[in-house]
Amino acid sequence: MKQTPVLEGAFVSDPEPVLVGSRCRSCETVAFPASFTCPNPRCARKDVVATSLSRTGRLASWTTVHFPPPPPFVAPDPFVPITVVEVEFVSEGIQVVGPLVGASAEGLRMGMAMETVVEVYYSDDSGEVIGWKFRPTEGDADE
Amino acid sequence: MSDVIVAGVGLHPWGKFPEKSWVEMGADVALDAVSDAGMEWTDVEAMVSGAMQWGGSTGMRSGNTIAAALGETGVPIANINNACASGGSLMRAAYAMITSGMHDSVLVIGTDKSPKGYFPSVPVLADEPRPPVDMVRWQVGVPNPAYWALEMRKRMEAYGSTEEHLAQVKVKNSRHGSLNPYARYQKAFTLEQVLSSPMVCDPLRLLEICATSDGAAAVVLVSEKKARRLGVNPPVKVAACSLASGEFGDPTIRIPLLAATSDGAATAPLLSESRLAAQMAYEQAGLGPEDMDFVELPDNSSWHELQYLETMGFCGEGEAEKLLDAGETALGGRLPVCPSGGFSSFGEATMAQGILQIVEVTWQLRGTAGTRQVEGARKAITEVYGAQANNSACVLTT
Repeated sequence: MKQTPVLEGAFVSDPEPVLVGSRCRSCETVAFPASFTCPNPRCARKDVVATSLSRTGRLASWTTVHFPPPPPFVAPDPFVPITVVEVEFVSEGIQVVGPLVGASAEGLRMGMAMETVVEVYYSDDSGEVIGWKFRPTEGDADE
Repeated sequence: MSDVIVAGVGLHPWGKFPEKSWVEMGADVALDAVSDAGMEWTDVEAMVSGAMQWGGSTGMRSGNTIAAALGETGVPIANINNACASGGSLMRAAYAMITSGMHDSVLVIGTDKSPKGYFPSVPVLADEPRPPVDMVRWQVGVPNPAYWALEMRKRMEAYGSTEEHLAQVKVKNSRHGSLNPYARYQKAFTLEQVLSSPMVCDPLRLLEICATSDGAAAVVLVSEKKARRLGVNPPVKVAACSLASGEFGDPTIRIPLLAATSDGAATAPLLSESRLAAQMAYEQAGLGPEDMDFVELPDNSSWHELQYLETMGFCGEGEAEKLLDAGETALGGRLPVCPSGGFSSFGEATMAQGILQIVEVTWQLRGTAGTRQVEGARKAITEVYGAQANNSACVLTT
């Protein structure tokens, strides 16, 4: 089945699933999704390259969405509540939101290690749309 | 630099009005404000109006649409959209036109009809090289209240705030709203009722998130000279009107973004734009939070009310719940918060909600707020909360 990324270039699956952002060559500021320039106003160089984020980060917050979001979200019928998590990638200094997978919200604890995975968001006539999700993992987050 | 005086105000009841267009609602409040100022429609020197995205192309030029309905007079009209901060941004634009000496009277209009439920994304060009982040965040599944819920959970973890605190904000604001004949919801809810309302984005429940409403509000701002000529009494003065945007390094993940960069080197606070706008307004007015008799803040959700008490300098971090528990933020308390009933009782009408706050403060400072009157009110501050980090605060005094 044809697979389309929800956002081209925002993640890779090989050799392991990670998010891809941009990093400033001068001040090291990381942005996600990747930007064409550096968002730090005190940085004069503005020369950015693509950069992979750490595979794992720390759980910074979460919420379960009990009413279906509007399109382009594709909601199953009947709707199953989804949990959105915020993961902090410590060495990159960035927090990213994404859907939770592999656990229920009841099992979540602040600061627990979360790893990036790439999974199907939804399928339609043109194939599968894939994107990043976050899954609890054993051990510590990458520092 | 001329002082800026609120000469007239107009407010439409808020709710859902399928039989009445936003143009009629906007025209109603425009004429009410002009009449309240003791002026004629043809006396208005300039207009600023909320650029209402849900109204399509005529909505984006709402000021021209309303002027065409009421009779075009050739005055300058600016249409502005700064999301939920539009009302404050319109105030700021009008304020600058008067302090600069460019005009002696400016009509500020916000009129809006909102889609039900979560605010959806606005259609975008299909042939952009990349989809806009606003489309991606919906595919991920992050409605606006989810952003607020993420912050609230951090607050609960950091300060021990409870679901009951969230519900108590609604109980208080619904009691205020029950005293306001313009509010959409005029029912005082009990703690039990709020806590049994459906969970939307936990820990935020349905009754703790403002609805999306149809609403309209207008004010006429005039120069000191014009106010004297009109005999405005009492002259409610706009002592400050600020506008700020976000700072790099702010840890807030902003609607509709997917991430926030906030490394150790960056020192911007949560809701940096809101903190800045409040600080700028206090500085401009030469007053501080301790001088305010009451506040109209953006209670888009119960989380907002707790957070903005801190962001606007009324208490230290993690202390808002104490003010709430002690009853200090209720009518009759030391610092009534949202005596109008707030967005909690009115619902959001994004172009108009910042102007709604100015109307309420004007009535309070005139002493005409009826059963919800804050006794002896002389000074107040308003602040809105705009998506993607734009924000405005106004200090009004009499």
